[in-house]
Amino acid sequence: MTLHVLDQLPLWVEGDLSAADLAAVEHHLAKCPACHAVAERLRTSQVWLREAMQPPFVPIDHEHLRHAVMAQIRTEAAAKPVHRLAAIRPTLLAACVASLLIATLIWRQEHATVSLPPLGVPSALPAGSATQTAPVVTPPMARQDLARVAPLKAPLRRPEEPVSSPIEGPARIEFQTANPNIRIIWLAQAKPLPEMNPTPLEAP
Amino acid sequence: MFHGTEAALMDEGLTSLPEASADDPLEPLICRIRAGDVEAFGDLLARTEGRILALAWRILGDRHLAEDAAQETYLRVFRSLNSFRLGERFEAWMVRIAVNVCYDLARKRGPLPAPAEVLDGLEGDAAPMAAEEAVLLHQRRALVRQALATLPLAERTALVLRDLEGHSTEEVARILGVRPVTIRSQVASARAKVQAFCSRLLKPTDGGRP
Repeated sequence: MTLHVLDQLPLWVEGDLSAADLAAVEHHLAKCPACHAVAERLRTSQVWLREAMQPPFVPIDHEHLRHAVMAQIRTEAAAKPVHRLAAIRPTLLAACVASLLIATLIWRQEHATVSLPPLGVPSALPAGSATQTAPVVTPPMARQDLARVAPLKAPLRRPEEPVSSPIEGPARIEFQTANPNIRIIWLAQAKPLPEMNPTPLEAP
Repeated sequence: MFHGTEAALMDEGLTSLPEASADDPLEPLICRIRAGDVEAFGDLLARTEGRILALAWRILGDRHLAEDAAQETYLRVFRSLNSFRLGERFEAWMVRIAVNVCYDLARKRGPLPAPAEVLDGLEGDAAPMAAEEAVLLHQRRALVRQALATLPLAERTALVLRDLEGHSTEEVARILGVRPVTIRSQVASARAKVQAFCSRLLKPTDGGRP
């Protein structure tokens, strides 16, 4: 017998060997007094280990620990209720998202129904000119209620200039589409007819 | 801890903790604490404080340090209770936290000081026979504690969890996040060193390898 089992004894002593290894070690120990002595010392030291490492704490130590921990935990829980916050976090998030959505919808609705300037006949035009210059308009969108004829802009003409023609200045027609950001402006002006000054016929 | 082995262990699923038994008495307590019942933590403490205190003392070898470690362990448990996955063994999760706390404290403290009382008592004295046995017992205990204190921290932790706390090798491996073969090796080495330490000091002329 030359092969000792010393390396396996620390595992053997607490039953950490596989069945095959255990059988081999047991077989060797039965025949080898040296290994058997080491095995016995290992057993003894394990007993001593368990005996020596019995914890020295008594119930009063446990109580002190409990008081210290609970005092600290109560303080922390009162200062920052982490668990309750964690529990309501999804609800809080959902409420925030819903509020944001509603606010966005209200904002969009308000901007979509921006009140337009009041419809009216342009004051700068003389009476009757509107009927002359404003063509019959067919709004491109279905929302006809938003279409209007805008007043003419006065600064197109200098104030001191006399009104020379009842059809002076373009007619301004605006269409407000359903999109509040898109407005179609149509400026229309009738060209004056060429002058019809009669030229004297040349005498033959 | 054990950052180097973490990635490899993740692949093997060894970093997960042992599963809880179907009727784990701690699980209702955990649910109550999570729901905001802080006082339920007192019940949790009452059920587990003995083991945590003992574990910390066995790893650190110092009574006051062990009390600090236990307190810090419970505070960490309370603060990170939401990260505990129900279905795993809560006690194993708590032991893992306790071991980490002990490692932190051991790192701050430095190497364990050798108990001065151990070798003083080995010399013969004039104590009466009745008291002599008690003295010898005290000396032997101090000697074993010193033997444990000489072990590297990883070996000491493996030995404490496996032989003194009663966990299986696989459980210890999962708690510490290493392979079972590593635990087996550390535990075997630690047992052999403790035995050699005790043999050398108590019976210097006896034993030795064949």
